[in-house]
Amino acid sequence: MQTKFEHFAATSMMGAQDSPPRENGTLCFDRDWEGRVFGLAIALSKQGHYDWEDFRQGLMGSIAEWEACHALDDSGWDYYQRWLQALERLVAGHDIIDEKELESRTETLLESLQACAVKAENSGS
Amino acid sequence: MSDKKTFKYTADREIYSAAKVRALEALLIEKGIISDKTVDKVLSFFETEMGPFNGAKIVARAWIDADFKKRLLKDATAAIAELKLPAGMAGAEGEHIKVAENTPKVHNVIICTLCSCYPWPTLGLPPYWFKDPTFRARMAREPRAVLKEFGVNIPADVEIKLWDSSAQIRWMVLPERPAGTEGMSEKQLAALLTPEAMMGVAKVAA
Repeated sequence: MQTKFEHFAATSMMGAQDSPPRENGTLCFDRDWEGRVFGLAIALSKQGHYDWEDFRQGLMGSIAEWEACHALDDSGWDYYQRWLQALERLVAGHDIIDEKELESRTETLLESLQACAVKAENSGS
Repeated sequence: MSDKKTFKYTADREIYSAAKVRALEALLIEKGIISDKTVDKVLSFFETEMGPFNGAKIVARAWIDADFKKRLLKDATAAIAELKLPAGMAGAEGEHIKVAENTPKVHNVIICTLCSCYPWPTLGLPPYWFKDPTFRARMAREPRAVLKEFGVNIPADVEIKLWDSSAQIRWMVLPERPAGTEGMSEKQLAALLTPEAMMGVAKVAA
């Protein structure tokens, strides 16, 4: 769905011209976690854990921080990384989930992922 | 977490982010803050209730009803309420919508220079490039050149106005009704509209 837009964005940044994007851009997440983190930020705001404006300010801050120390066309740009960072800060700042608890759960998940990968590798060889 | 592990994990930011989001959702569910259906509900609301189809209805109505158009330009939030569009996400990017009308002398474009504010209820979620730092900076600096790359040539005597949605206001564009659409129904007119036309980065083709 978004390929044309992304192509446009990439080529326009390189200075090349591209045919005009004309696709109907609707809800589309490149990766599963983007949709989840998007929905989480809205759900927690709707439940009154913070004002949407607080999230928006956090997102702006997170984007500004990135832009302050990267070139605008830096290929490491990732909008939903900024979104996640803003949400993490709000969740910790509003004592919704403890930062350490989140870190430790993340680590547990990564370890189990790694264990699966090792297992798959061993059984494949 | 040891340094070696930290490096390994952050080196693959993608896997790390995916795991972190999963961990966050899982913890929120376990603590009873959200249910295991909450995120799916939000996403399905966006897919079915909030999207450019709403903006298309608003524009089509404004094209056929001059009084509605007047009200829309004066107080978009109130005029849009007349159409009984879904309001379940009010407060998240949709409370104060304003409409900028294209005319033969003025072409409007919506941007958000600081992040990615966008009128979700009427246009859905912004496309990838709208959020891109280079696009945001360039559109603010040289809109005529960027529009040309989009295939929209704005004559030199037409003023380009940029509407920055950084404050509490979400802008959308009321495009010009194309020639040759005189006999069309409201529904047929709505089908001509694209999110890009309502962002000001495309013209409406009949």
